[in-house]
Formats: sequence, C-alpha cells, structure tokens
Amino acid sequence: MTDFLKFLGKPKLRNPAMVVCWDSDAGQLGAKTVAHLKRELGAEEFCDIDPVEFFPLGGVSIENDVVEFPESSFYAIPDRDLVIFYSTIPRYEWFKFLNLIVDVAQEHCRVREMYTIGGMIALGAHTAPRDFWATFSSPQIKKSLAPYELSRELDFETPPGGRPTLNSFLLWTAKQRNLQGANLWVPVPFYLISADDPRSQKRVLSFLNDRLNLGFNFTRIDAEITRLDEWLANLRREQVEIDRSITKLEGNQRLSDTEHEKLVKEVEEYLKKQEG
Amino acid sequence: MALILHREPALTNPDMIVGWPGIGNIGLITVDTIRQAVQAEEMGEIEPWDFFYPSKVIIRGSVLTDMEFPTSKFYYKRLANRDIVFFVGEEQPVSRESMYAEGARAYEMANMVLDVAEKFGCGRIYTSGAAVAITHHTHKPRVWAVANQKKILAELKTYPNMVLMSEVEGRGDQGSITGLNGLLVGTAKKRKCPGVCLMGEIPDYLSRVPFPYPKASQAVIEVLSEALNLNVDPHVLDGMIGQMDTVLESVYQQFPAEIKERLEQRKETPQAKPRATITEEDQKWLKEHIDDFFKKGDKGV
Repeated sequence: MTDFLKFLGKPKLRNPAMVVCWDSDAGQLGAKTVAHLKRELGAEEFCDIDPVEFFPLGGVSIENDVVEFPESSFYAIPDRDLVIFYSTIPRYEWFKFLNLIVDVAQEHCRVREMYTIGGMIALGAHTAPRDFWATFSSPQIKKSLAPYELSRELDFETPPGGRPTLNSFLLWTAKQRNLQGANLWVPVPFYLISADDPRSQKRVLSFLNDRLNLGFNFTRIDAEITRLDEWLANLRREQVEIDRSITKLEGNQRLSDTEHEKLVKEVEEYLKKQEG
Repeated sequence: MALILHREPALTNPDMIVGWPGIGNIGLITVDTIRQAVQAEEMGEIEPWDFFYPSKVIIRGSVLTDMEFPTSKFYYKRLANRDIVFFVGEEQPVSRESMYAEGARAYEMANMVLDVAEKFGCGRIYTSGAAVAITHHTHKPRVWAVANQKKILAELKTYPNMVLMSEVEGRGDQGSITGLNGLLVGTAKKRKCPGVCLMGEIPDYLSRVPFPYPKASQAVIEVLSEALNLNVDPHVLDGMIGQMDTVLESVYQQFPAEIKERLEQRKETPQAKPRATITEEDQKWLKEHIDDFFKKGDKGV
C-alpha cells in the first residue's frame, strides 16, 4: 500500500489527533476548516496519496479559470500534535483509499483519535444557532467526548436506495483497525450551502479548539459572521419575499418549492455580488 | 479480498448457476428464484470491501455499530441427477464510469467465482441476463443463448422457446453481452470451463424502466429447469408477473399515440418474424421520459 503514498518529510509527532476534511461538502465546511487550521497553526504537508487509482484522470476540471486537480494531502502541526488530512472525494477504490488514510494515521503518525468533519444540509434559518452532533466509533470515545455535548443518542439506518457517507465508511474502516474516532456533523442552512457559513465553521473550530487545546483566536471568523449577517439583513430589507421566506423558516414553517428555489437563487447571487 | 467458504460439501456432477443484477433484474431474479425453490443452502461468500461501496450504516445511540455491504454468496443443493452450485451477487462491481462491471475488479470477481466452480468440479457455468429485443410486453419472452464452446450450441437448440443469438431476426452473427454475465462466460472460456449465457427478452422500450421484468426471468427458469432437470414450478413467478403487468400496462397507456401505434403493430406479428422498429426519435423520447412515469405519484403508477 505504501506505493500509493508519497512522503515529503517525517514530522515529529507524539501521539497526535487527526482531523479529516473533504473538499466538497455543504457550506465548504471541510475546506474552510482546513484553511483556518493551516492559516492559524502553520501546517506543513508531509505526505500525499497518488491520485491515479482513485480519480478519473481523463482531463481536468476548471473553476473560475483555474485548473483543478485531485488533492489528497496530509499536513502536520508538530507543536500542537495534530495531523490534518484534506482530500478531494475519491471516485474509485474507496476501501483502499480509506485504508491508506488509516495506514498513515497508525503506522506513520501513531494517531490516537480521528475526527471527520462534514457539513450537511439543514432546512432552518441562518439566524438559528448551529446544531452540532457526532457519531462515534465506540462507546469509549463517546464517553470521553461527553463534556462537549455532541451526542444526540442517534439511532439511524441508511434507508433503502441510499448510501452511507464516505465519513461513515472511514469511521467504520478506522474502527476495524482499532483507531478511535468520531464523525462530526454541522447542519448548514440550505441557502448557504454553495457559499460560506462561518457560523458552522466556528462551531467545528470551537470544538477542536477546546478538545485539542489549539489556542485559536476567533476575531477573524467572528468578523465574517457579522459581515454575513449584515449582508443577509440588507437582502431582507431589499427584497420583501426573501424576508418573508426567512421569517417563515425562523418560525419553523416549511417553504413551498418556489419559495425554496427563489431563496437559494437570490442569496447565492447576492452574496456573489457582495464578495465582488 | 478473500473468498470464504463456510462449508465444503462433496458434490456430484455439479453445474453452477450465476446471477447478478442488470436490465430488468432478469438474471438475479432467475437465479434467486431457483435457489429459493430448491432450498439451496449457503456455503460461502466473497468479501465485499474491495469490490463495493457500503449499502447501509447502522448507528445505535450515536455509536456506529455496523456497516453492510452488497453480498456475493455461494449456495449449493444436492439433487437426484446432478448437484447445483449457485452464485448470487447483489451488485456488479463497477470500477470506472461504466454502469456495467468492467475492468480489473470485474475480472477479479469473475475469476473468484470460477475458482469456486473449479474447486467443486462444476461441469458447466450458466449465467443469465437480459436480451433487449424488438418485441412486445404482451408476448412471451424467448430466451437467447450463447455458449463459450461451439460444441454446446447443438444441445442448446433442443430446448423449447430458446433461440441462438445469431438466429434472432435481423441480428446477424455479431453481438455482445455487457457486464459480468458476459465476462464470466468469457473468463470461463479462457479457463476452458464450458459456459452458457441465457438471456430473457425484454422489449427495447422497457429496457430503461427501473423495475424488474419477471416475465423474462420466468422464461429463463423454464429453460434452466428443463436443462438441469430442476422441477421448478413454472408458475413460481406468476404473482410478481401479474403485478408488473399491471404497472407496465399503465405506463404503456401513457406513451404518445404515435409511438404506441408503432408498438401495437408488434403485438400482431407472430414471434420469430421481423417486427416494427421504433424510430430514433421515439427512442430518444422514451429515453427522456420513461423515468417520469415512475415519478408522478398518484398521477402515474
């Protein structure tokens, strides 16, 4: 399996935690979480997974005139004893890919616990507090994370025709190899899933900060929350229909399909314009 | 990745019958129906992790307690004349963009199935799938057959309601079988193991419908039952066929009049005579709309 791993260095780690994020989830939660961790803590890449077995490489995609290419990289922050894995979601050979992540965690870094981050679509308003919950690989790690109030005592089975998430698949793979972990989920309001949701990001980062003693300063992300709130308040003032829809969501009422679509479209366009 | 055999029964003169899902789920229903009818017993499985994405996660009290994967299981049954080994795969391993199994993973699975056939001394492999045909859903489907050795063809011709692929009207002597039902008989050929693929006819205009077509499975079951002397009740699928006939007739009645008119001409044409084809435009329309009939809730079916 090591043929698929390319090591760029050997960071000095003791018994680190690992945070796993993917490049495409609701509200870009994974990408934003990793960006924050790298920026604030100065992470250094030390390993990556060769893409050839796991991604279609028949060409490249372009986003805003920039060529995209699959990325699957491990970063280390030795002074915080932390490893980050950030990746494009693989298209093939998932089990092999997930085992490579666990290989690096166990055999190269002696990771003690692993956290996956996932944004999920919520039907509530952006003004509501962000919920935060987790699924655990074992009752032991559930107990050790009890002070963070992550558990909702969830009972769940994938419905017929559905598929488990890649994070669940990873947690199961890690569990088979006796690596403890938790999948962390933050619901992102549906009309912010293609934009940023700094409130969700702060929810994840606050947990990591408390659990892993990262010493974060949240000034920047707080400013982003304030800015987004102001933009959306302005949009509500400018467009009565949007205000009516968000007010309905705040009152726990459901939107019609037309209202739902219009809210998504108008918010997306408005935020794009604001961001220039 | 591993093959796990829970039992290794001594079998006499066995053949193997193999089924995977595909168009109309014809192959899978065929094999699973026979397996249940003869009350075959489970004997082993292929570990799923390297072949499949999981199908179900089970969480209890926020703890991930289990993960389920599509199964690929072997069964056996001792019968008076010959024993039978069954292989039933809940999914075909898809490794790249194709909706059908292909490439290294599919070949690997085909070889693992054949390893079991060889281990138990199976004399012949039967796979089953769909034959997309210019036919009408009110007709009894025929069973198309191909073999991986020329010497088997003469025997196949003796079975009722069966036609060799090259003898199907307008097909000529070229053809192909997509997915593992084809790949397995090809791989068997490479390993010098006799193999036959039996394909139940499904009308071209129903080949994209996301529902089973048990009428074709019934036709294949009849052939296999006779070929292997299985004594499976020929009416075993009558209930399911009745239900699907109602659903399909309802969909059919919603087709545009001009397409239906062309298809109705097929109804009057006897089996084994060239039938009216639908135009490319009709095919495009069906391709674009067939799913809609199944999404209309109380307006549709």
